[in-house]
Amino acid sequence: MVGLPYDCLANPLGAVRLTFDKAVSSGLNPSTSNGGDWGSADLFRQFLFDDGGHSQVPILNAESVKHLPPNSLVRFRGMIQDMLGNEVYVGAYKDGSTWRTNKFSDVSQIEMDMSPDMKLWERRLLYCVPVPGLNSWAEPLEALSNQQKTFPSEQREKRPRDDDEAVDHMELGSSQGCQDSPITKKMRDEAHPSSSAMQQDMVNEGTTPFFGSPESERNSFPCLVKIYDTPESDLKMNEIFEFIGVLSFDPELALSKDESDMQSNDLFEDDLVQLPPSKVPRIHCLVHKKLVVHDFVDGSAMAESNPSLIRGTRESLLSHLTAVLGNDGMAAQFLLLHLLSQVHARVDGVPVGKLALNFTNFSKETTSVFGSQLSSTMKELIPFTQKISLTIEYLNNAALAPKKDYQANKLVSGVLQLAEGSHLIIDETELQAGTLNPMGVENARSLKNLTESQQVEYDFQYYKMEMTADVQLLVLSEGKSNILPADVVLPFQPSSTSPPEIVEEAIVQSWRWYLANLRSLSHSITPEMQKVVEEDLVAARQADRSLGSQDFSRLLTMSRLMSLSFGETSLSMEHWQMVKELERLRKERLR
Amino acid sequence: MASDSSPGGNINGGPSSPDDFTSSPIGNTLSSPGEGGRTTRRSQRATSSNTSTPLRSRLNPSSEARTPSSTGSRRRGGRRQGLTPSTPVAPTPASSEAGEGFDNDDAPPMYVWGTNISVQDVNGAILRFLRNFRDAPVDLESGEFEGKYMRSIRRVIEIEGDWLDVDAHHVFDYDPDLYNKMVRYPLEVLAIFDIVLMDIVAKVKPLFDKHVQVRIYNLKTSSCMRNLNPSDIEKMVSLKGMVIRCSSIIPEIREAVFRCLVCGYFTDSLVVDRGRVSEPPACVREECKAKNSMTLVHNRCRFADKQIVRLQETPDEIPDGGTPHTVSLLLHDKLVDSAKPGDRVEVTGIFRAMSVRVGPAHRTVKSLFKTFIDCLHIKKTDKSRMQNEDPMEVEMGSSGNEEDLNVDYQKKVDRLKELSKLPDIYNRLTRSLAPNIWELDDVKKGLLCQLFGGSQLKMASGASFRGDINILLVGDPGTSKSQLLQYIHKLSPRGIYTSGRGSSAVGLTAYVAKDPETGETVLESGALVLSDRGICCIDEFDKMSESARSMLHEVMEQQTVSIAKAGIIASLNARTSVLACANPSGSRYNPRLSVIDNIHLPPTLLSRFDLIYLILDKADEQTDRRLAKHIVALHFEDPESIQQDFLDIQTLTTYVSYARKNIHPRLSDEAAEELIRGYVEMRRRGNFPGSSKKVITATPRQLESLIRLSEALARMHFSEWVEKRDVTEAIRLLEVALQQSATDHATGTIDMDLITTGVSASERMRREQVLSATRNVIMDKLQLGGPAMRTLELLEELKKQSSGAEFHLNDLRNALSTLATEGFVSVHGDSVKRV
Repeated sequence: MVGLPYDCLANPLGAVRLTFDKAVSSGLNPSTSNGGDWGSADLFRQFLFDDGGHSQVPILNAESVKHLPPNSLVRFRGMIQDMLGNEVYVGAYKDGSTWRTNKFSDVSQIEMDMSPDMKLWERRLLYCVPVPGLNSWAEPLEALSNQQKTFPSEQREKRPRDDDEAVDHMELGSSQGCQDSPITKKMRDEAHPSSSAMQQDMVNEGTTPFFGSPESERNSFPCLVKIYDTPESDLKMNEIFEFIGVLSFDPELALSKDESDMQSNDLFEDDLVQLPPSKVPRIHCLVHKKLVVHDFVDGSAMAESNPSLIRGTRESLLSHLTAVLGNDGMAAQFLLLHLLSQVHARVDGVPVGKLALNFTNFSKETTSVFGSQLSSTMKELIPFTQKISLTIEYLNNAALAPKKDYQANKLVSGVLQLAEGSHLIIDETELQAGTLNPMGVENARSLKNLTESQQVEYDFQYYKMEMTADVQLLVLSEGKSNILPADVVLPFQPSSTSPPEIVEEAIVQSWRWYLANLRSLSHSITPEMQKVVEEDLVAARQADRSLGSQDFSRLLTMSRLMSLSFGETSLSMEHWQMVKELERLRKERLR
Repeated sequence: MASDSSPGGNINGGPSSPDDFTSSPIGNTLSSPGEGGRTTRRSQRATSSNTSTPLRSRLNPSSEARTPSSTGSRRRGGRRQGLTPSTPVAPTPASSEAGEGFDNDDAPPMYVWGTNISVQDVNGAILRFLRNFRDAPVDLESGEFEGKYMRSIRRVIEIEGDWLDVDAHHVFDYDPDLYNKMVRYPLEVLAIFDIVLMDIVAKVKPLFDKHVQVRIYNLKTSSCMRNLNPSDIEKMVSLKGMVIRCSSIIPEIREAVFRCLVCGYFTDSLVVDRGRVSEPPACVREECKAKNSMTLVHNRCRFADKQIVRLQETPDEIPDGGTPHTVSLLLHDKLVDSAKPGDRVEVTGIFRAMSVRVGPAHRTVKSLFKTFIDCLHIKKTDKSRMQNEDPMEVEMGSSGNEEDLNVDYQKKVDRLKELSKLPDIYNRLTRSLAPNIWELDDVKKGLLCQLFGGSQLKMASGASFRGDINILLVGDPGTSKSQLLQYIHKLSPRGIYTSGRGSSAVGLTAYVAKDPETGETVLESGALVLSDRGICCIDEFDKMSESARSMLHEVMEQQTVSIAKAGIIASLNARTSVLACANPSGSRYNPRLSVIDNIHLPPTLLSRFDLIYLILDKADEQTDRRLAKHIVALHFEDPESIQQDFLDIQTLTTYVSYARKNIHPRLSDEAAEELIRGYVEMRRRGNFPGSSKKVITATPRQLESLIRLSEALARMHFSEWVEKRDVTEAIRLLEVALQQSATDHATGTIDMDLITTGVSASERMRREQVLSATRNVIMDKLQLGGPAMRTLELLEELKKQSSGAEFHLNDLRNALSTLATEGFVSVHGDSVKRV
């Protein structure tokens, strides 16, 4: 980076201005421009990705925000929780005879009045929150400062690289940055004594943080991201992004809000009123990148997919799952398929590829053993996991579907506002007979809707909007769950209760990589195989008239997942037979 | 788009109240170099003179000229300086050459600041438009020489209105150039518009002292809320959306009066300039001059109403994975409270931006601007659904007003008409209906007919024939009946989906409830009444309670619900099509039993269904294969690669709505003949040669069904006449349905008796045989008054006598009870006695 007249990290705005001046001198006319990119994005892209600057950019989180200087370059990983519309700002103005720009900043250097030498441009506001249910191991590593290297947690991975130079301004004890820390949890409980009882119910082992749910909103770390020059279709609700941009924080602005005249607050809802900059930092996004599940998994352990390696990983994961499930091998098989499932297409609103799993025969006792084993295993394997314990009280009180609050002009998040690829365990064993209030009925309907069509209805008061979701649902219940009509119902038959052995971190990592990467593989079928499958289906239906399209769909989903689990992209006879056998065994168990 | 009324200034001033609105743009338009100093004064006058408050008398004589007219005149050397306020005189010649009137003066032409738009030109254009625009050719005989808007102006004066609605389409038709100027420079052009209007008003009725404003509506293009961008700022835009929040009414100060606390001197009213009025630092009176003694006198200030409304996008404009956008609306004066939360409105207004103020103590300035729409006109596009005569109309976004037929709508209609001309539109529509449900094409066709509906007939005698088509689907579990129902429910504009198990009679029709607060009895509508002019989907029809089902009799034929209880006697309209689905009485359809036995529905109700489809899961390998193929493709093929040659759900809905609203087909002679022929054919079918059985093949109800179906089919083609092909198809549909539902399993022919009485003709014939045989046996064996005979013995005897036929004990019992009612025998338990 020697030779550059600016510092992308410490003074990104300087770099922006420089490119602007360059663009103006080379013919850009701000008075006719609509604020489109003039080359600054390319500059930063080059800096971040080609020159390896990416890892030097400090991560913005609840801790680091206290130390990061305003107007420096930061990184933020979050889910788009709400969209706050567009914002018009003075993009370019004439200071004397030279054009200056305000792009990527909240404040302007000079007093401004409407004049012909001032151009209004537009940017989008996104309200982002940390990914709901993000497990601590999946947090970006650079967030941990030097002391963190020795953080005593077996879940935490070692930082692969040294990047001290990037993080020197955030070395104060960020040990509390980790969301699961007891301190934050205590704070949450203290802050909401009234809701803490319910929280305890929901958060079974007190481990799953409910980010995005109204009760814990205080605790989460939202961020207002201002997006430039990006088509609307690029950024969608509930998607996860890494935003790299200019941190904007001005205490003066924060102060000024208090004394600003009543009237204008009253008239035009200002997001500043609802989202004070002291609590919600702003990022002027220069570069953004969509993240999917496998971006949260460290892939360095498994450099290239090699068939035998994948097979080995599959075997070891399967035996681990079998151990977790008390030696129930069939349940482990189904669980593996379930963990690989993903909605890969929607045909006329019907999601294809989901495999919601319902383990029955769970009593209160077995849940206490296997339920917690299961959920901790999920937390180990999947980057974002959630767990809900269904009780009448919970159904009647919890806000599952997000709801628009027009007073505050924001979308109040619900538990079911989840990022793509989240895993959700629903524990139905504690559900007792009781009366549901209208809220409870609505919640039960939302859950059913999510299981059946992978959609959540967002309540906009005057109408509802269906948002698509992609959540792996695992239901634990005593009998077949009727609230949550899962695709596969399997009676759970454990034969031992010994806890699974502790596994090495490297192996866990390979499992994570396996689950995250294989599920996004493409898949196809050869014409010959297609014929075989069709024949088999027809024969099955001739034999048993009760088989419907749902059963066929399940078989095909399973066969797809089965071959994916071996890392293969085409369905083979062997796997098709395996699936049929598995299904036959399951049917037997159901009897 | 610069003007000297910076957005910053307008923030607090609130831009578009009538006064501010006229004043600031006037200031703009005239502020050519050297005029700066006069701007304030002029605007001051403009404001004060436009109002008819008592304050007016307090003004300086010099500012008492009628401003709208005086703006022009003052430019021309102050000729009108001496005029008294009470005699306003139109400054422009009364002729239509008003525009040129300006040019005759030697003053330089005025331009809207920063543009080449000449004020005089615009002034003339507007005047010409108002005077001469006619929406219909001049009708010499009626003696109406005046333009449309001159008449409107007179009406406004008559009712002492505050505004004149001007259709932007009319402006465009008359003078596209003026329209463009108006849309691009609304502030300036509207100000001139107001001035011209006031001139005309003053001429028509010199003493009319109210201020009349122009309200433009119905712009040629309507923008989408999320497409508003900075380039639209200061332009006129039109938006559709839903009101989600209204602020309380805010009194906004317009003119302030101060009083000196020391000497009690009242100042003249000071006009609020750019939202700010400065308190005089010292008493103005020469004798007093006390410093910091002035205080605001609230009850002598003048206030105007203001309201902020949030408008949100309607769901159909939101792209995938987005949330609705909102925009603030600023309403003034008469527009205040014209929309309530939940209203769907179309707003015409000026898109504006204002800077966000930061306290003056701060060094840094926010670069943010807040945008809002300064409202000119609000039109509700959707009345409350219940009040609307036909909800399908609402879907089309037009409330029957001819002025609503805008270009967009016309385009849509043209597209629909084009669609209707496609040769395969019928099949295409069928494919579009629930495309993810496999097969069942004939059922889908029937459902399509239900969606389109026949036409309702009202006789002069008061009798009415329903146009709604009722359909019953009976079928094996897992044959996607419920999915079909759900789909139709989603598609139909107003419909209720209920499940038979959870519905009670009152829940379906209507019930009387006591209001807990007032104790009054009120009528609450049930599902059928709520789905008036829609489709009521009833799932699990067979599981409905008997009493609930009996309520359906009236609804399905008379299309009303009558209530007589708790002092309320009422007949409510329930012009609804019923789409019901039922499972057979056993879990699967038993082909050896009749439809009635299978579904356990009273025949009276059953006959009210136009089409009864049996969706049976036949063990057909061909179908299975297709299903398997379909599902395999679903899982392994790219969804994009699957060909989509059907209409999307929006188009389908629009298509149906348009057809229902605008197409009212009548029977052509040819079609009528075909109907008669078909009906006669259907009736005759039972009487095939060699059969002595009298099988009633069709009933008049079926004839009515046929008419309805063929009307619906004609609607699908957007055809005004029911043609022969429609009738042929209707007969086919009915036969397909009947063949499945009314096949007599004993004879294989269509047998309407199955549906109307629950007993098939052949069954009835058999009963008669048994009856006569029994009668004969009893005649033979039993003496009048003789000893009794046991039933079993009688059965033996019967079997002996008629060797060929089989007899069951049940048949015999039936026969005996019939004979007993005839008084031929008496039956006591097991013994039969002849009497």
